Amino acid sequence: MAFEIREEGQFTVVLVDETRLDASIAESFKTYLFDQIESGKNQLLVDLSQVRFMDSSGLGALVAGLKKSAGSGSFALASAQPAVKDLFDLTSMDKLFTMHNSVADAIQGD
Amino acid sequence: MPVCDHQLSLQIDSQLSNTTLVAMAVRGVCAMTTLSPVEINRLELCLVEIVNNAIEHAYGNEPGHPVEVCIGLDKTTMNISVSDWGASIPGNVIKDQEPEEINPDHPESWLCSGRGLHIVNKLMDTVDYDTTEEGKNIFTMSKALRH
Repeated sequence: MAFEIREEGQFTVVLVDETRLDASIAESFKTYLFDQIESGKNQLLVDLSQVRFMDSSGLGALVAGLKKSAGSGSFALASAQPAVKDLFDLTSMDKLFTMHNSVADAIQGD
Repeated sequence: MPVCDHQLSLQIDSQLSNTTLVAMAVRGVCAMTTLSPVEINRLELCLVEIVNNAIEHAYGNEPGHPVEVCIGLDKTTMNISVSDWGASIPGNVIKDQEPEEINPDHPESWLCSGRGLHIVNKLMDTVDYDTTEEGKNIFTMSKALRH
């Protein structure tokens, strides 16, 4: 399965188990995130450690998840790889998301 | 598309899962150049954004239509064209429009789509779009290579 969840510390960690978070899976990823939020998971941490490429559709799915959780929980990212970080920087979306170097850092509050 | 020393033409069916095929092809051609890993990632991103646009907007996400990608390489420039035979992009959309400033305090301003063309305009050296009399839409973009 492309997406998996696990509980770690205070977070529900959503692992994107794909090397490409692109338009071909963005809609199903958004639906998966929405399902988690609607089922009451309100501290989501998206683990991007496996993702080597993301396009604007993948980014849009993350923005949709952030919007959905706004006001009722937290939504953060962990382990963004260089090409993914570059996309966030290019689009100024790094201003919007809380990004952690790793899941462990997020749990420790770094 | 300018005449180039090396030229590669590819055609995929209009399905989003096929963008990876052309993305890998452009990465292969980039490996022949002086482009840095960051520049190669950005070229891949630009190609994928334009191919996605052709599939999603020109063909309305309907499979069974051709998307043609041509990659031209000479000593100074890499040229890429993406063509489709579907609905054209309106002129007012193709122009570079800066996205509105992001306001972290106003979630309603956080756009979930519409960034693709802006990214391409920002990263490529030249961008052009034309529709032929036969109804072929051709998006061309180029990137200068370091000597």
